[in-house]
Amino acid sequence: MKKNILIVDDSESIREVVSIALQSEGYNVFTGIDGQDGLKVLLENTNVNLIISDLNMPNMNGISFLKEVRKIDKYKYLPILILTTESQEAKKLEAKQEGATGWIIKPFVKDKLLAVVKKVIR
Amino acid sequence: MEEMKDTYIQEANELLENLESSLLSLEDNPNDNSNIEQVFRVMHTLKGNSSMFGLTKIAEFVHDLETIYDKIRQGEMNLSKEILNTTLASFDHLNRIIHDSELQDPKNIENHQELIKKIHTFIQKESTATNANVTSATTMENNALRTVQVIFQPNEDLFLDGTNPLFLIADLTSLGKNCVIPHFKRVQTLDEYNPTFCITYWEVYLETKVPKEEIMDVFVFVEGNAKIEMNEFPYVNLISNREFITTVNSVIFKDALIDKVILTEQIEKVGEKVSSVTPNAKGVIVQDADAAVRIESKEKVVSSIRVASDKLDELMNLVSELVTTQASLTLYNEKNETPELEIISENIEKLSRRLRDIAFGMTLVPINNMFSRFQRLVRDMSETLGKEIQFVTEGGETELDKSIIETLTDPLMHIIRNSLDHGLEKPEDRMFLGKPRKGTVKLKAFYSGISVYIQIIDDGKGIDVEAVRNKAISKGFLKEEDVLSDKEIFDFIFFPGFSTAAVVTDISGRGVGMDVVKRNITDLKGSIVVESAVNVGTTLTIKLPLSLSIIDGLLVEIEKVNYIIPLSVVNKCYEVNNADMLHNFNKLLVLEEKQVPYINIRKEFGYQDLVEDEKSQLIVVSDGDHEVGICVDYIVGEYQAVVKPIGKYYKNQDFISGATILGDGSIALVMDTHKIVELYTEHVKMEVR
Repeated sequence: MKKNILIVDDSESIREVVSIALQSEGYNVFTGIDGQDGLKVLLENTNVNLIISDLNMPNMNGISFLKEVRKIDKYKYLPILILTTESQEAKKLEAKQEGATGWIIKPFVKDKLLAVVKKVIR
Repeated sequence: MEEMKDTYIQEANELLENLESSLLSLEDNPNDNSNIEQVFRVMHTLKGNSSMFGLTKIAEFVHDLETIYDKIRQGEMNLSKEILNTTLASFDHLNRIIHDSELQDPKNIENHQELIKKIHTFIQKESTATNANVTSATTMENNALRTVQVIFQPNEDLFLDGTNPLFLIADLTSLGKNCVIPHFKRVQTLDEYNPTFCITYWEVYLETKVPKEEIMDVFVFVEGNAKIEMNEFPYVNLISNREFITTVNSVIFKDALIDKVILTEQIEKVGEKVSSVTPNAKGVIVQDADAAVRIESKEKVVSSIRVASDKLDELMNLVSELVTTQASLTLYNEKNETPELEIISENIEKLSRRLRDIAFGMTLVPINNMFSRFQRLVRDMSETLGKEIQFVTEGGETELDKSIIETLTDPLMHIIRNSLDHGLEKPEDRMFLGKPRKGTVKLKAFYSGISVYIQIIDDGKGIDVEAVRNKAISKGFLKEEDVLSDKEIFDFIFFPGFSTAAVVTDISGRGVGMDVVKRNITDLKGSIVVESAVNVGTTLTIKLPLSLSIIDGLLVEIEKVNYIIPLSVVNKCYEVNNADMLHNFNKLLVLEEKQVPYINIRKEFGYQDLVEDEKSQLIVVSDGDHEVGICVDYIVGEYQAVVKPIGKYYKNQDFISGATILGDGSIALVMDTHKIVELYTEHVKMEVR
């Protein structure tokens, strides 16, 4: 069964890079342009297996998004990876506190991204 | 990456536009926090994008710029006129260097440096020199083969952030030869047990050369909510040591790690045993490895032995009996619920399943043996027929049950004869049609799921649908006005007494063949399909089950009778309201936004119809490209079924392909879902009409 991955990032470039990398590995990809949109896409699709979300986003930032997702019963245990930069050590820990499964540090190469994804879903 | 650069530039332009308007409104309202946030966010995104695309010069530049605004929004700095001016100048500069990311234009270089200098005076940037040496701290010692003990004790709330600890264990085991020991924290009563808590912890022994940091890296996401302990020991062949295995078995599933004293003792003991051979520790490993090589090469010599086939048959019988007995044990255990027995029973289940697989593997032989037999046939026939033929085989390494291959030889022989005789044209006819002189017959075998497919493909003249249709009409199988698909028309080829060959030759064409071919294949629980196009060629596809006698099945109940549905065809199971099926005009149920046709087995099997207010289980099975739901009363569970034939009195029906004896001695019937779907779609079609 193809795994469904939701990518939430306000940057089109990042969404595209991540989507193409994941699609090339046979994942199904949905995208959201910020937390609010991500939440909407999440609720519209029946079965999301993983969320990859940015932290810094307009409308609803990554941390609030994370909190909202964890409020949904069905997605209480859903793996969520956050996109973060080296400089955001504190953010990383905050996200972890709020229930993020792990993180991907920007910039990253395709192999690194796929390796991290494989760490949380199979 | 290159083609995505357009997206980058396009988005960078948008971001910069955004940045400009934010900067300008910031100039009007320097104290507006939302504007500062906006500026920071835009810069942050631009920085992220740039570094993703490897444009480090831009990324670094924006990073420095962003730092100013980060400080401002944290209240560490005030927004001054100079800062705004520099930012706007930087903005102009960015607009230019987006198209010159490597700073090839000397004007850009100059500008770049000047601006960076200015920005640095604002943030009083400390030296950027990072401790580059830190990462190379891995020592040589780390890279030697050694035994590593990793104790991974997750906090109880581990599952709450979506972590699956088994993936981490799997990652760990990929690092080398290993031994994983799961431990359970004691749960006293059912009330105390909370399934959302992780009560398992692991003790893993690894023989690896991977450096410590890399091993710890496996747990990078869970460092905060797990206790991870790592101990390193010199390499001794601990994991395959008999005494160590006994120790492992004594602690597995228990709430206790291997005692440290015992562990050290054992490691020393294993080490001593080896070092008594040679005192030098380094020499030990070499010698050990030598011995291993020697054993291996010895094993290679005796890599295959001949076994009388009746011995294999008996082994299969015994395995079947064992599987049945194991089912009784599982059933007994389900009734009595003794935890100790459950562990034993589960182990036996696992072992018998492995034993089954291995025993089956033994009876499989590569199909190549049969293929090579045909080579000769083709050569001889091509001379008799005066045709030039190229015979190609593919997938000869595909393995099939010995008995299936034996039964299959004759039908295949017949099909190939047919292809050579009727399918391929004479060389001069082929030239006339613009085809190569040499006709090709290809024999291809491959796996798909638990089935094996064998295809016989020729590039001959193909079968004329109209000719078959006319013949069927003249033989009285079909009425003039009947509308059939090509596939259905081709099926007439397999009717007894049907042959389209105008002239009956010595080799084939008496029409006694194809019906026998089909019957042989159906007897093997296989199916055969013909596809053909005039002047392009014909492909016959035979689908066969990998093995016949033991299958993994889903045990279900309909009207208190047990049935087995082969697990290989089951896609998903749903619970549905009977009312939805009873008051349904087109026999389609909407499941997960997909329309799925279903079969009301109760009705078709002549049982009482569904009860309105109750629920049924819908087993969605795949049949070729389609999905069909079969509705049953209950799902009992997964079951390893030893399929026994059901005797000649039942041979006139198709939808039950065998029977199996359950643990309690009762009988379950094995459904042939393909036949059921085939049979009852007709009924449903008629009803819907």
